[in-house]
Amino acid sequence: MSVLNVLRKDFKDVRRAKLVWAPALLYTLFMLLFFWGQSQGPEPDFYQVLWGLAGIGGAMLVPLIALVAAYLSIAGERESGSIKFLLGLPNSRTDVVFGKLLSRSAVVAAGLLLSFVVGVGVAAVLVPDMPFEYGDYATFVAVTVLYALAYVAVAVAISASTSSRSRAMGSAIGFFFVFNLVWNFLPVGPAQMLEFLANEFDFDVSQNTINLIYSFSPTGAYMNSMKLVMPDQFMRGVGAMVTDPPFYLEGWFMVVIMAAWVMVPTVLGAWRFRRAELG
Amino acid sequence: MAAIETNSLTKRFGESVLAVDDLDLTVEEGEIFGFLGPNGAGKSTTINVLLDFIRPTEGSATVLGHDAQAESETIRRKVGVLPEGAELYDRLTGREHVEWAIQTKGVGDDPDAILEQVGLDPDDADRKAGGYSKGMAQRLSFGMSLVGDPELLILDEPSSGLDPNGIQEMRDLIREEAADGTTVFFSSHILPEVEAACDRVAIMSEGRLATVDTIENLQDDSDAQARIDVELAGVPDRIDVSNVDGVVRADVDDGTVSVVCEDATVKVDVVTALDRQAEVVDVLSEDTSLEELFNTYTGGGTVETESPAEEPKAEVTP
Repeated sequence: MSVLNVLRKDFKDVRRAKLVWAPALLYTLFMLLFFWGQSQGPEPDFYQVLWGLAGIGGAMLVPLIALVAAYLSIAGERESGSIKFLLGLPNSRTDVVFGKLLSRSAVVAAGLLLSFVVGVGVAAVLVPDMPFEYGDYATFVAVTVLYALAYVAVAVAISASTSSRSRAMGSAIGFFFVFNLVWNFLPVGPAQMLEFLANEFDFDVSQNTINLIYSFSPTGAYMNSMKLVMPDQFMRGVGAMVTDPPFYLEGWFMVVIMAAWVMVPTVLGAWRFRRAELG
Repeated sequence: MAAIETNSLTKRFGESVLAVDDLDLTVEEGEIFGFLGPNGAGKSTTINVLLDFIRPTEGSATVLGHDAQAESETIRRKVGVLPEGAELYDRLTGREHVEWAIQTKGVGDDPDAILEQVGLDPDDADRKAGGYSKGMAQRLSFGMSLVGDPELLILDEPSSGLDPNGIQEMRDLIREEAADGTTVFFSSHILPEVEAACDRVAIMSEGRLATVDTIENLQDDSDAQARIDVELAGVPDRIDVSNVDGVVRADVDDGTVSVVCEDATVKVDVVTALDRQAEVVDVLSEDTSLEELFNTYTGGGTVETESPAEEPKAEVTP
């Protein structure tokens, strides 16, 4: 399978780039900081650590890890011309997109998993008395990795659709700005806009619809997927959680949304790249 | 079956750039074919279409009998490619590059044998390609193109970045491959390497095929206009060769008279005529160099000729 040859070669190549590992290191440092923070208090709370990680990781570090690892995956090769080695050999355009997606996903997942393994050790040393909930930790790791893969898929798709480094970087930053900061953190996100319009023009929008729109971005879905990891903490952190919510606001549906963020961009990216002119 | 065949191949970039214009080109199996032209003549664009890096605006191309667009993977399985101006993977070693090509083509070649064949020594092969000189990079690229003993080698500017020694070695390697029956199609804007290596050449100019022929025939054709330099002792006041039949043009520079004749037989008459007017010290008569020939076809030189490139291009209304 050519996908595997692209994957193998690219993984060998990208794992040697130190820059790719830097954001994961930063994530590990934050984890260390949060565990240390709990060790200073009288009652160390495991979920406080996860809550902190979900915040800093969801808003900043996980997207950073993924975008840095993948935004140049294809555009970088187009700019340097090495894409002509890749496609001078019997690899199809689709092989290239999927091979790159798998290879960059592997690097990102490896970085995060390493970081979470370190986390276990750090917890044992810094806060030995704190009960460490392995089951919930595993769920947290799983949704965090999925969230990262959604960003990898977006970055590979952007990379497949752009012909130069600078455009790939611009588009990656643009995506982060719109679908992360604007969508979920600034008071101008589409959810707020809809609420505002509803007030202004006096029509009804249910809170469920607003919540769903908030969850449409990878970051929104990731944040709301914390319901799966720590429902109590989530209730306290976010405020009222609807009892018996519609299916599209349940935790598992957040996983579906993130999975869609892996698949849809990949398919679009592959489609664009098949038509690209590599002059 | 032709190794490469293009039919009315046309490639436009945007509205204004016509990179390849109605190209009909046939490269036969087993020949070494030089694809010539100045930068921007459409050589790389043509090669990019053959490898499906870009798609033709009109017309089509086949490589080894396969359609360049529909069956590109099949083509690339049978072809070795040396792309132009492509950077290697900085973080992979030379050997890893070759191993990857071997795996991707699914063949059992020995990477060390290939590296040795292209003259990359084992120490260099184990270093990361990021530290390679242009010449080493070009050797490695050529080595990758040889993986799987391809039926056809498509080499885009193979000698770029090589020193004269390297060019000579590259030429020998190309000849070796061709001796095994491999068809070699290579592009170049450097003339001597083509002159020495090719069975046939095509000259591209401004997206059009200016001519296709063997080097010998091209030279014979252009010998129709022959040039002779005659060195005279002292500088006579007056030199006149205008009464000699078949003289096209004459220039005097220092003591040397350069005369362009309609054909080679006029040369003797020129020397005779000059001998009557002054003392002839030396006579220099050369075959037309490929360089002059090239200029003739691409309109880059002083020799006047009807270049097809000068013809007004038919505009296609969308």
